[in-house]
This record gives sequence, C-alpha cells and structure tokens, in this order.
Amino acid sequence: MVDLLEYAVRGIPTGCVFALLAVGLVLTYKTSGVFNLAFAAQAYTSAAVFYVLRKEQEWPLFWSAFIAIVIVGPALGLLLERVLFRHLRGAGSLAKMVTSLGLLIAIPEVVKLFFGSDAKSNPPPLWYVRRTDEWLWPQGSKFVLDAGQVTTIVSTLVVVVGLTVLFRYTNLGLRMRAVVESPRLAELNGVNAERVSMASWMLSSMMAGLAGVLVAPLFASLNPIDLFTLLVAALAATVVGGLSSIPLTFFGAIGLGMLQAVLAGSLPTNSVLATGLRPGLPFLVLFALLIFRPGLRSNSETADPLATVDPPLPVPVAVSRPRWMSISSRTVGVVATIFGLLVSWFLLDGFWLAIVISGVVLAVIMLSLTVVTGIGGMLSLAQAALAAIGAFTTAQVVTATGLPVLVAMLIGAAVAAACGALLAIPVVRLDGVYLALATLAFALMFESILVPLSWVSGGSVPLAVPRPVIGPWDLADDRYFLLFAALCLTVIALAVIRVRQGTTGRFLQAIQSSPTAANSIGISGGRSRIIAFTLAAGIAGFGGGLLASFAGRANYQASFPYVVGLVWVALVISAGARSIQAAVFSGIMFFLLPATLNRVFSWPENYLEAHQQAPEWMQNLLGLVQPNWALPVSFILFGIGAFTYAKHPEGIIEARTNSSVTALLRWTERRKAKVDASSSVDAPQVSA
Amino acid sequence: MRSRILVSAIFVSLLAAACSNSSSEGTTTTSAAKGGDSSATQVAVTAPGVTADEIRVGGVASTTNPLGGKYGESFDGVQAYFAMVNSEGGIYGRDLTLASERDDQLSNNDAEVQGLLEQDNVFAALPMTTLLFTGSDRLVQSGIPTFGWTINPEWQGTTEVPKLNLFGQAGSYLCLGCEQPQVAYVAKISDSHKIGVLAYNVPQSTECAEGWEKTFDIYGEEADAEVVFSDKSLSYGITDLSVQVSKMKDAGVDMVVTCMDTNAVVALGKELKKQAVEAIQFLPNGYDQAFLDEFGDLFEGSYAWTSFAPFETTPQPKGLKNYLKWMEATDGRIGENSLVGWLNADLFVTGLQKAGPNFDQQKVVSSINELTDYNADGLLSSIDWSNEHNKRGETTCGAVLIVKDSEFVPVTIAKGKPFSCFALNTGVLTTTAQ
Repeated sequence: MVDLLEYAVRGIPTGCVFALLAVGLVLTYKTSGVFNLAFAAQAYTSAAVFYVLRKEQEWPLFWSAFIAIVIVGPALGLLLERVLFRHLRGAGSLAKMVTSLGLLIAIPEVVKLFFGSDAKSNPPPLWYVRRTDEWLWPQGSKFVLDAGQVTTIVSTLVVVVGLTVLFRYTNLGLRMRAVVESPRLAELNGVNAERVSMASWMLSSMMAGLAGVLVAPLFASLNPIDLFTLLVAALAATVVGGLSSIPLTFFGAIGLGMLQAVLAGSLPTNSVLATGLRPGLPFLVLFALLIFRPGLRSNSETADPLATVDPPLPVPVAVSRPRWMSISSRTVGVVATIFGLLVSWFLLDGFWLAIVISGVVLAVIMLSLTVVTGIGGMLSLAQAALAAIGAFTTAQVVTATGLPVLVAMLIGAAVAAACGALLAIPVVRLDGVYLALATLAFALMFESILVPLSWVSGGSVPLAVPRPVIGPWDLADDRYFLLFAALCLTVIALAVIRVRQGTTGRFLQAIQSSPTAANSIGISGGRSRIIAFTLAAGIAGFGGGLLASFAGRANYQASFPYVVGLVWVALVISAGARSIQAAVFSGIMFFLLPATLNRVFSWPENYLEAHQQAPEWMQNLLGLVQPNWALPVSFILFGIGAFTYAKHPEGIIEARTNSSVTALLRWTERRKAKVDASSSVDAPQVSA
Repeated sequence: MRSRILVSAIFVSLLAAACSNSSSEGTTTTSAAKGGDSSATQVAVTAPGVTADEIRVGGVASTTNPLGGKYGESFDGVQAYFAMVNSEGGIYGRDLTLASERDDQLSNNDAEVQGLLEQDNVFAALPMTTLLFTGSDRLVQSGIPTFGWTINPEWQGTTEVPKLNLFGQAGSYLCLGCEQPQVAYVAKISDSHKIGVLAYNVPQSTECAEGWEKTFDIYGEEADAEVVFSDKSLSYGITDLSVQVSKMKDAGVDMVVTCMDTNAVVALGKELKKQAVEAIQFLPNGYDQAFLDEFGDLFEGSYAWTSFAPFETTPQPKGLKNYLKWMEATDGRIGENSLVGWLNADLFVTGLQKAGPNFDQQKVVSSINELTDYNADGLLSSIDWSNEHNKRGETTCGAVLIVKDSEFVPVTIAKGKPFSCFALNTGVLTTTAQ
C-alpha cells in the first residue's frame, strides 16, 4: 500500500504536464468552439522561438519568455482568428476540427522554414539553469523535483485557478462562452463578438506557448511530433472535464498521471498485462470514457439559435447539373482515366509509375473516408489503422495458409470491416468531436497495443506480401499492377456511388440534414451509420492489403502511422468528402506533390551546377532554393488546403466543379438566348 | 439478395482458383564486361552509370522525414571520400561522382529506390541511410551493389535470400535478439554487478533488450553480474521514468542497458541523478560528442560502443586520418553519419579495385564478397564479407569508450589496437585486441 502511494505521488508531475496541455485544449474549446489539435503546433512555435532567443541568441530568460509566450503566442492566436477562425464562428465542430488538423500539419513546417530543420538539442527550461536537472528541490528527499517540474506544477496551478476564476466570476469569461455559442445572439446583446473572439484566441494561444516552453525540456531535442504525442496522451483528461470544466480536467489529468505511475510500479514488468495495458493506458481511458460516460452520448453540440438564418450549403453538383452535363462529365471522366492510364503505361518510367500506383491505391483508402465522412457525416481518424488491419491480415493469411493474395486481401477487407463494425456499435452514438476522438483513441490503442505484437504485425521485420497473379497476368509488373489497382478503384468507386444514391446514403443524408425530422419518419440513424462505418472499414482494409501487396510488405511504420492518417483526413476532406473525384485527387496528390516539388526545387541547384559561369546575382537567388523544401512545402499546401474547408465545406474540388458547372450553364443559357433571338430576327416575316 | 451473395461467392471462388501469388524472383540486369585484367589502365566498360570519364553512384537518405531520421550527412562522407580518390586520378581513369542525393521524404523509400534505379543511371547505390528501408527487396532483385547503414533489419539476408549485394557499413548481419558479450565485458570492467534493462514495447527495441538479457544469462556468472530489473513495456515517447528508477534503486542496480532513443536515455539520466542512483549507462547508440556537449555530466562513467575506430583513437589509423583530413577539406561535419558514408564509399572503391578495370556490377559484388579481412584502413575491425550477410561471425568486435569529463575516452585492451573482440558461441567471455 505504501508502495502504491509512493508510485501515485511520483505520477503527479506527469499529471501536471497532462493537465497543462489538457486545460489548454479545454480553454480553446470553451472560448472558440474549436477542438484544437493544432495546440501542439502552436506550442511548438513558441518553444522554437524561446529556443532561438534563449539558447542560440543567449537573451535573458525574462525577455526570451516574454517574446515567446506573451508576444508570439498571442500574435499567432490573433493571426489564426483573423485569417481563419472568425469565418468559422458559426460552423460545426467538424469544420473547425478539420481546419485545426490543417494547422497541425502546416504550422511546424512553416516554423522549420524560418528556424531551420536541424535538431534543436536540449531545449532550455523556463528557469535560470541550462538544463532542468541542474536545479533540484528538495535535495536529499525521496521525492525530488527538478526545475522543469517545479515550474510546470506552479504554472499549472496558477493557470487552473486563473481560468476557473475567469470563467466563473468575470464578465469576460461569460462573454467568451456566449460568443462561442452564438456570436450573433451575443452581438444582439451588445457584446463585441469580434473583440471577444480575438481575446479568446490570444489567450488560448498564449496558453499553448506557455505549455510548449514548459514541456519542451522534457525531451532531448525540440520536435513537434513529441509535443503532439504528449498532447494525445492528455486527451483523456479533456474528456474527464467534458471539454468544459477546467477543474475537472485538471483532476482528470492528475489522476491519469498517477494511474500510469501506479500501473508502472505495481504490474509485474514484462507480463502480458503490463505490455498490453501500460503503453496504451491513456488511449484506453480515453476510449472508455467516451463510450461509457453517460453525459457525453447525449451531449450534442449546442447549436447556434440563429443558425437557421444562414443560407444552406450549395446543392451537390451531381444533383444540380442537368442530365446531359452529367453524361458529358462522366464521359470526360472515363476518357481522362483511360488517357491517364495510357500515359502511365507508355510514357512514365518506373519512379513516376510507382508514384501513380501508390496514389491510385491510396485513393481506394481515401474512398473509405468518402463513405464514413462524406456520406455518413462522421469524422473518423481511424481509417489508417483499419487499413493496417487489412494489410496485416492479408500478410498473415498469405504467410500462414499460402492462399492467393487476392483472396487474402478480401479476407483482410472482411476482418477490417468486422473490426469497423465492432468499433462502430459504441462509437456511432457519439457526435462530432467525441466521435472523432473515439476513433483517434482506437487508432492509438491499435498502434500502441496491437502493432507491437508479432502475431499481428510480424515483429521487427515486416511480413512479405506478394503481388497477385491473375490468370496469365503477373502483377509483379508495375504496369499490370496499375491496371489492377485502377480496376479496383473503379469498382469500389461505383459501389460508393451506389451506396450514396441508395437507401443507406439517402437515410444518412436525411439524418445529417435534420436528425429530428429523420427520426420522426422512422429513419434509424444508428443502423445506417453502422453500415456506413463497416463498409468504410472494409474499403480501408482492402486498400491496406492492396498497398501492402504493391509495397511488397505490410509495413506499419512506412504506410499506416496514425499521424499519416491525420494528413489523409485533412487532405480528402478539404478536397471534398462527398466527392469520388476528390478521393482520387487526394490519393494521387499525397504522393505526386512532394515528388514533383522535389524536382522543381532541385532545378536551381542542377542549373547552377551546369552553368557555373552564371552571374553572381543569379547564383545567390537560385542558391536560396533548397531541394529539401519539397516535403515541408507539400505539407504546408496540404494544410492550407484544409483551411479552405471553412469557406467550402463541400470541398475545394466540389466547389470548383460547382462554379465551373454554373458558369457553363450560364454560358449555354446566354448562347441559347442569343440563338433564339437571332433566329427570331432571321425568321421570315409572315404577312398577315 | 441471396442470388447476389451466391454470385459473389462463386466469383470469389473463381478468383481464388484463377489467382496465385507472384514469386519474389526478379531479373538481374547487369552489363556484361569483357576481359579479366585488373591493371589500372582504362578498358571500355558497358555498365550502367559508367562512361569514359566517370563512374556515377547515387544514394537515398532520410533527410526531411518529419517522423524522424536526419541522415543527410552520410552524403558528405561519400563526397569527401570521392574527393580524395579523384584527387589521386580516380579509378581506372574515371572520376567518381555522387550523381544523385535522394531524400526518401515521408517513408517513400521504395519509390526513391525505384527512381534511383531507373532515372539516375548509377552504377552503385550509396549511401543508403534511411529510417525505413522499404526499397531493399527492389535493390536485391536488381543486383546493384548497395552500401548503407545497418540500422534496418532488411539489410540482413537469410539462407533462402542471402542479399549478397547489400553491404552495411560494418557487416550486414543485424541480430537484434542475439547475445552481445561486450555488455558483459563493460559490466566486468566497470565493476557493475546488478543490471537494469529498459526497452520500448516495439518489436526492435524488445528484441534488442532480450539480447541483453540473454547476454547476462550466458556471461553473467563470469562477469559477476545479473539482470535484477527489466522493463520492456515502456511506451514510445515516455518522459517519466521515476517509477522505474525507483525500483532499480531498490534493486541496487548499478548499470542500466537500454534499447531506446536519445529522448528516453536523457530522461533516464536525469532521473538517475534526481534519485541519486549511482548507476552508469551502456550507450549502444550514444557515440556523439555533440550529445555529450549537452548532456555529458549525466553520463559520467558511462560506456559507449562503436563498430568503427573512434575519432579519439591514438595513434590514428590511416583510414581515420584520411577521413578527418578530407572531411575538413570538403567542409563536412565529422560524426557517425558522415563516417558511414565514408565507409560505404571505401568498400565500394575497394570492390571496384578488386573487380579490375573491366568491372561490372556483379564483379564488384563478387569481389567484395571474397574479402575476408576488410578493415577500411583500420577504421573497422576485420570483416569477413564471405560470411557477413546471413550469419553471425565467430567473433564480434568494436570499440569501447568511457565518458570522462563529458568526453569519450577509448578503453582498449592493448595499446594501439582500438578494437575489443569477443568470441561468440563459446559461453566464455574471451577478449582479444585488434
């Protein structure tokens, strides 16, 4: 018992780290309505500024901290509010979360372009020492704290008390919450919604800056992925607080830290339970809370009472355009696909062919997002994990039974669909952010508990997955594999269209448009959503098997980490969650854009090598461009793509298609009117 | 509905009957060369990437992957080595050119390998220093001489697929779960008796830790050391090891061996200091002076292990002198990454020279695989390449270093011999100097 108490006490500093991050997330959600996954990216920005000022420029502690936390943090918040989130005030949680995903992807890459991507070793603490362990207190005690822990504990307590007071006892806190619920109603009551919203974002961003500077010294070097990993571990605490209560979030975080430490101390090391439970504990807790906490299931988002004055979303192009245009458009689509395949077959070399095939295969997985998010209206962050389930099953079936890989892929799809159904049953009862968090928790549990098991992933060497041979065609040839992948994509796309147009699709559309009206006419939301989720999981599983077969191995780290899955989601939703073209576009762009940019950014270097007598100004100018910008710039563009979701929730591809169709219709109408007018002038006069 | 299911079932059955799996055999495309003369005069060679003036090579390194791995400095090592060779007239009258430096971005290794093979017109692939090595199968099938950093299990061959054209910087066999007698040796010389083992719950890390445990099972008695605490269930990204350190303190641990990244090793060092645990660490991946500049005091008295002659070696072997001289001349950063590139280039050039002036890819591969005592001019201990692809040798060699005043100090058995070698499969902790 004494030991357990000791372990629990040891967990308190970690609990405070969780609390700092979780309270920051809750603050942002309370004051802006955004479940801000980009909190980690904002924290990274301030931590990077602090690093440069304090360590590289050797500024005094106070001024380094002041600039990083009090100036840069709020300035970033202000920028985000002015440029992005002010346009999203009335938007749903999905739109806001997708935008924050875009920021999570883009911000660290922008910061790296400014401050360099080299490792920033030993981030300095927010204290007058070079490293956190250089100041220990109380010396000689059993429970010694270092400078980082002391500053974190003190800061967390101050923040929790301060924010509790702000929301409970001040006018500003009340106004902040009012503006989130309905900016227009708040304005009708004399609240300057713009100013309050700006203040909210500046405050939450300052909080992110503080968290970043305090948490960064926990790591040997400054890396945005580390901060995000810590943030997702703290998510459970935000759910304890119901995304609204600061004190409950704080206690939830402390409890999580203590529970982790107690399990680390009390479970027999290396036992099955310890190996399975401990690494996945924060995600298990998160998932369990989301599923079993009664309040959350009925905790639908508070709708803006004035939301009904908003114009409705544009009607999908596929519905609005005339029949002749649909037929023409599909014909153009078929011709373009055949043309693309011919170009790939005859003109592309192995490298570009591999890029295209990877894109086509990824497009299959993206179609699963079309089903679950576009048709089902549920933001799933678990599609990469479900794809991995398909890939692992394919690999294990082929290895263990020697069955043809195509059959194994179908079994993989079935297993993924079954897992999707099991996940869907509890998850579909949740809404918006909670559903997204539950799927993220599933992905994280899968990664931390199941992927390390050799009977799942195959151990340290990824399992081999061969290419199929269909009759006389050996798909070991990339060109044949491209045709096969394109065929799979086409069949699945047609199936998705059938689902969209069928009963399930229409039920889901009705539920999204008006859940109450849909329920009143007997449409069961739960059943339709489970079907959509299961189908999407099956598609993702098949895509995963296909990807593994193309790559030759079911390699989780190379293809399916949850972080990569987040990029997929941001990409496909910003392109158009309901659109087949958007899924195909996103899949191909994910691979094609970095590869193309690499060639573009390599050109100046190659040019200068070939033209060593080039004028100095040209050498200086072209010398600025670096080939290694390709991936960061791609990520920035992917992130910026997600920003457009605010303006075009139907997706940028759908929006562009819509405007093109509208322009074309206007043009044809004008032309028709002109023809009619001229024909009436030219028509022979009939004399009376 | 039932008929649809039936049709689907028949379709799947037919598919199963019609389908099979593609074999993993690929075609090897190497240009045939004529003659067998190994004189230094130029002979017309028909091989990819070879012209009358140059021999082109290209590599893939993880440079911008946001998930980790910054190995771009390996290109600098190759460039420095080629600068040295070219300053002496090149090979067979041809300059060596590092024609392409590819970044495998977000785990896009396979496609970049494909590009290297098809777009870059290169004779050999080097350096191949990547976080993930998904293009390994493609390189094996192509038969191209490939040189890189053995940090991925894909480098290692098997009896069925020996991967004879893949050459790691110090051998290709990477046995994560095997015993490592050098750890027992370090326990012995540091007078450590109670060992703690820490690892993440990811397969590579866990297997590595099992190797440490096996080591003390075999050599523990002789080294008078035993594993008294082991935790292989740590989650990746862990920042708090207070409970583990507390338990190790209670168990009297005086040496900790880990299979974790720098973040966790530093977190462990800080926690050991906080709880005043007098334990050293064994750092299998910690040989980096920049790391010690930041965290050296946390690792005072700890030991590191390298597979190459450390930069602090005195007297410096010829290979090390050349490396330091040419890295300075080409403004490269001295460190493990660039040294890997240098070693890759050295082995490649050694293979070229041994293959003779009418070389081709297959001849270079075969020539290297005939080397039974390769040591990169003293930078490595002796490597028997006829044996290094798919099985472990009879000894394992490397350099032992101790951290003193935040600097690495070589620990040698005999003066002037940087490497300590340990006999394997004997069950006895036998050490020899090399």
